[in-house]
Amino acid sequence: MLRPLFASRSGTISAVVLVVVAVLAAVGPWLAPHDPLLQDPRAILAGPSAGHWLGTDNVGRDVLSRLLAGSTLSLVAALEAVAVGLVLGVVPALLSVRLGRVFEWFSLRLMEAFVTLPFLVFAVAMTALLGNGLQQAMLAVGILISPGFYRVTRAAALPVATAQYVEAAVLAGASPWTVLHRHVWPKVVPAVAVATASLLGASLVIVSSLTFLGIGITPPTPTWGGMLATDLQYLFQRPFGPFVPAALIVATVWACNGIADALRDAPGRPAPRKVTAHVG
Amino acid sequence: MSAEVLLTVRDLSVHTGDTPLVTGVDLTVARGATLGVVGESGSGKSLTCRSLLGILPPGLRNGDDTTITFDGTDLRALDARGWLGIRGTRIGAVFQDPASYLNPSITVGRQLAEVLRVRVGLGRRAARDRAVELLADMGLHEPARVYRQYPFELSGGMLQRVLIAVAICAEPDLLIADEATTALDVTVQAEVLDLLSDLQERTGLALILVSHDLAVVAQVCEEVVVMRDGVVVERGTAGDVLTAPAHAYTRSLVDAHARYGIERFRPAVTVHG
Amino acid sequence: MTVSVAGTGWGTAAAVADPARPRRSGPLGGAVRWLLRTVALTVPVFLFATFLTFLLGAVSGLSPAGLLLGDSATPADVARVRADLGLDRPVLVQYVDWLSHVLRGDLGSSWLNGVSVSSQIGDRLAISLSVAGFALVIAFVAGTLLGIGAAVWRGRLFDRAVTAFCSVVSALPPFVVAVALIVVFSVLVPLVPSAGYVPFSQDPGMWLALITLPAIALSLDAVADIARQLRTGLVSAYQENYVLGAVVRGFSPRRVLLVHVLRNGAGPALSVLGLRIPILVGGAVVTESIFGMSGFGRFAADGALRGDVPVVQGALVVAIVLVLVANLVVDTLLLRLRPAARRRT
Repeated sequence: MLRPLFASRSGTISAVVLVVVAVLAAVGPWLAPHDPLLQDPRAILAGPSAGHWLGTDNVGRDVLSRLLAGSTLSLVAALEAVAVGLVLGVVPALLSVRLGRVFEWFSLRLMEAFVTLPFLVFAVAMTALLGNGLQQAMLAVGILISPGFYRVTRAAALPVATAQYVEAAVLAGASPWTVLHRHVWPKVVPAVAVATASLLGASLVIVSSLTFLGIGITPPTPTWGGMLATDLQYLFQRPFGPFVPAALIVATVWACNGIADALRDAPGRPAPRKVTAHVG
Repeated sequence: MSAEVLLTVRDLSVHTGDTPLVTGVDLTVARGATLGVVGESGSGKSLTCRSLLGILPPGLRNGDDTTITFDGTDLRALDARGWLGIRGTRIGAVFQDPASYLNPSITVGRQLAEVLRVRVGLGRRAARDRAVELLADMGLHEPARVYRQYPFELSGGMLQRVLIAVAICAEPDLLIADEATTALDVTVQAEVLDLLSDLQERTGLALILVSHDLAVVAQVCEEVVVMRDGVVVERGTAGDVLTAPAHAYTRSLVDAHARYGIERFRPAVTVHG
Repeated sequence: MTVSVAGTGWGTAAAVADPARPRRSGPLGGAVRWLLRTVALTVPVFLFATFLTFLLGAVSGLSPAGLLLGDSATPADVARVRADLGLDRPVLVQYVDWLSHVLRGDLGSSWLNGVSVSSQIGDRLAISLSVAGFALVIAFVAGTLLGIGAAVWRGRLFDRAVTAFCSVVSALPPFVVAVALIVVFSVLVPLVPSAGYVPFSQDPGMWLALITLPAIALSLDAVADIARQLRTGLVSAYQENYVLGAVVRGFSPRRVLLVHVLRNGAGPALSVLGLRIPILVGGAVVTESIFGMSGFGRFAADGALRGDVPVVQGALVVAIVLVLVANLVVDTLLLRLRPAARRRT
């Protein structure tokens, strides 16, 4: 499953970047040299030093510690959103292939309605109206990215469901579960893997955008987007300040896209379009 | 037939990398003459045709010794701009699978009119009128309606007629028909062949007819060249090649025809010489 | 409509008869069927989307009672206000009532200041549409040029540069681009003011200067997406036989590209443009708050943060209508561009 990832150089680099970020997010809280919420009034907006490798922010909190804690929050939030989207997208898509026209029609229109909703406005509205927490934000983002999962799953499952070999299997008495497991799954999983990687990147962008706007988090909690917003206010005191969280966001999103591309291109690269030219 | 030479091909070869696909093909076509090229798929006949149009697929090239002289012009020396003056107006071409050679998003009439405007220099109106006229000439009923139709609305035989109109509307001296009737039903195939030889007689167009089907070639052509594995194995008048094939391969082609061809069921139409 | 072809009159065309010819509907079939189909697909999507919008307010449990009466309100007061506003009725009844007002252009009024939502949005929409429209123009022009260039010079340096550009740009969130643009063009090299908005009618030059940075920030991702899709579409169109056919007719490379390749290869890129519109409209939330513009996105976000449900719902309805109209335009363009796609309908 992961082999194709390392077939290309950009795929390998992307995987390495994502693994590094994931490890940082996982063990970050233990690595952090300081409490990310601890304010040090003697070191406000300090530059890098032995005690604070990346300096301190406007209330004297250690930037490195906050970044590490923020990585955990940002990544976990994006993963939650993807998990919600995965469930809300893949399940109806599989059912739409199986359950007949009425359900199919409804699920298609509902997904189109999701796509029609202006992404960030809806996410902001949902988060703010439902209690302004990161969980609400992730639910909103998950709902909004679910059409992405729905589309790829349906596209992968539909040809299988109507294929003659599957019809034959059903006639031979295969249970729906066997058909799903043996015929549909192998086609759907690679497509969903690609979608997961690219939508993880997209979720990260939205999570960062929301936290940048201060939506979904309460102030002391560190997130990449939130830190960027704060650093921006002290641009003149700490000119490189916004650069670090921004670079982390961009690198992680780039890695997600890179993995999606590598997974998409790898399994026998989409054959160059049939050349009908007659060479004889 | 006048003996003025229109096209001379000497030592034509096609290579991919270092592998030769076609070697040592010599052809001569006089103005207004008909030449048939017969061979199974992979025999190199289509690559030979494409060389004459300068449209070899990417990665393939002609050998250095290849010379192609068309009406005094050395085609091998042409650059991209030079080819623009040859294709369409001097050499036309039709291919197999007509549906794929028309732009699916533009009505067939407008595609014909496009050639008339751009290559012949007619005005918008004149091009339109002439296009309808040409469609009628090609034996298409209700040409004004065909003009307004998209390729996906027409049958294969109709599309090939449209493509022939497109190929000859700029009055080229030479028309290359590469397996132009292969994808068509037998009856439609016969009609299109009739149209081609009719055009050839009426306009004095020289015709190179390429086919895997000996009967098709024999129906229209005076001269026949038989190709196999990238070389010419036999050449002569259609009558000689069909009645007294010298090469074993040609004999097998003729035999196959005698055994499986339509002639078997219709003795009246035995191979004509 | 040029496709409509009557079903009769073919029988006599013996010379060209073909049993496999496609059946066509009556003379009006194409246009009417297309219209019906469009309505049948758009109306449910509108209803679903607006219902979700409405539901958002309903399940939030927010009511103007809290906002109007303050913390001292007793449960009885709250219940009275809710009853006055009809908020105690079943959700579906409230939705139908709300929708009937929406369809008449009445988006209700703010719970906070009582001002009509539609009039508030009207003023702010011009700001957001200026930015989103300009972003769309940038995305279209730059994406098209890059995509065409990459397809024409495929495999060459330009193509690889475009691919690299797209890969980097699609990892850049708009707010990061916005921040970078401000830092570079307003702080380091002060070319344009970093924030604010001036109506076009007041000072066209200033208007353009102020919307340029937000529009670029908003469009970059779309530029990359369109360039990539267009390149893919054009490269595959270039492999089609009709391109060879056009070459054999002696058409110049430019004519082959513009008339034959572009028309058939541009479909996916145009679809992407359609899919991008909700993102452009939604992105207003971020860019407007960074560039200090009091547009429609910021209006919606501020409304949401204050719990002003009618404001949020009104803004969403306007955005949904904008997106649906834009999608209709894109679909119609696609159909005109590639009539063969009509076969599927």
